[in-house]
Amino acid sequence: MIEIQNIGRQFNTRDGTFEALKDVNFAVEDKEFFSIIGPSGCGKTTLLKMVAGLIKPSSGSITVDGQPVVGPGNDRAMVFQHFVLLPWADVLTNVGFGLEMRGLSRKESREAAKPFLDRVGLTRFSEHYPHELSGGMQQRVGLARALAVGPDILLMDEPFGALDAQTRQLMQEDLMRLWDGEQKTVIFVTHSMDEAAYLSDRVLVMDTHPGTVREILDVPLPRPRDESVRRTPVFNELTAHMWHELRGMMGDPTAAAPE
Amino acid sequence: MRALKKQNKNRLLSLAGLLAGLVIWEIIGRLELSPAFPPVTAVLGAVFEVWSSPRFLDALKESLISIAIALPPSILFGVAFGLLIGRYKPVEWAFDPLVNTFLSLPLVALIPVLFLIFGLGRGSILATIIIYTFFIVVVNTAAGVRTTDHQIVEMATSFGASERQILSRVVLPSALPLMFAGIRISTGRAIRAVIIAEQVIGLIGLGGLVQRLGGAFAVEQLYAVILFVGLFGLLSMEAVSFVERRALPWILAQEETEPALQGA
Repeated sequence: MIEIQNIGRQFNTRDGTFEALKDVNFAVEDKEFFSIIGPSGCGKTTLLKMVAGLIKPSSGSITVDGQPVVGPGNDRAMVFQHFVLLPWADVLTNVGFGLEMRGLSRKESREAAKPFLDRVGLTRFSEHYPHELSGGMQQRVGLARALAVGPDILLMDEPFGALDAQTRQLMQEDLMRLWDGEQKTVIFVTHSMDEAAYLSDRVLVMDTHPGTVREILDVPLPRPRDESVRRTPVFNELTAHMWHELRGMMGDPTAAAPE
Repeated sequence: MRALKKQNKNRLLSLAGLLAGLVIWEIIGRLELSPAFPPVTAVLGAVFEVWSSPRFLDALKESLISIAIALPPSILFGVAFGLLIGRYKPVEWAFDPLVNTFLSLPLVALIPVLFLIFGLGRGSILATIIIYTFFIVVVNTAAGVRTTDHQIVEMATSFGASERQILSRVVLPSALPLMFAGIRISTGRAIRAVIIAEQVIGLIGLGGLVQRLGGAFAVEQLYAVILFVGLFGLLSMEAVSFVERRALPWILAQEETEPALQGA
């Protein structure tokens, strides 16, 4: 279980202290698919990077199975919005990169990476350079790199945010299938309501200025899910509710005022 | 294929430019405007005589030995120092002004000082090569390090990379293209430096030969030596480019790639 307790984060700016996150509290169960959604600048990526151990909170604590997070760890792996592949390394070396950072030799990590490249369906591209691949393929490499280190927890930072709509939908379905087979804990940051509802067990809606928990929604859709759930009343109600909440935060004078 | 054709076309243009230069030189030479411009055909006649003379070959050997001793460590330490300056702010603050000062100094003015320190021998020549090459490698490597994508550093950190791993697997590869540019420039400068330093001594190496031929107004022979130096510089820098293309295959691939494959 991942427990986030009383997390706060302040930045010092010219105009004084800026509160990015305030009193954030929630817990993510093992094997849960947990999404965080919120308007731009609400601190959701910052929060995810805190769980990854890349950013330290100003106050509060994060624990994984009772152990405080003090830095990156073998139990967690991250998937990035802009893929962040090594442009000078071929696909297979990229997939093995996390293993290499954990002490395997280049050769061993490339060998160990093969089944994971296979799992995302890119075996025949193993010796291509990243720039020779489409965005969707590049993100599959990013996903395979994260899976290769065998983490219990996948931290995904708007992983499909840089992809076109069709590719994005395909990637969601693939991720869904992979997750059904792997049963890992996933924290998934997104700004797409549709994506959050489709993939998640629960969705945390974040408020902004300062970033804090507005509400946590259960997604009562049966698994395994496929495309058809997008047309169910439950799905539509859920996304409509999220839209209502988010719209209220976006400062649009024509939007319904938040309660 | 298209890239290859284009390359051949560019090669042809380079050759045409060179030929045009030679033709103009020949015309000026034939006009006998000045003893400083012998016709290019006369120089080419001297080329074979000079390039095979023992005097020339001994001088060449001397100059090559100096470059071979001074250039590799200069590049090696330049790269190491450049990595430190590019990666660590305190090192940059401490040494950046010094490095930039050396880059803007007219180094020729420093050569007498080097001779005061190291005497009239190879030591001074080596020192000259080093001050001509080291700082160029340092600034280029440091600039290369600064092109490192911080997102890649963060990614590596998230997978538990140590600082040493980040240096070798992220920062160094990021710096390679500019680092090689620095090495290429410094190779050309090493040749310049060795000639200049040898000219000051006036007795050894190609620089010494240039000095003596110049003093004797043996203009054709002088041009033959200068021609050799020019060609040698060109070939050396081409050799570095060759290594560069082998070492940076992804850069080449990026230049040749048509738009990325379509589909997810």
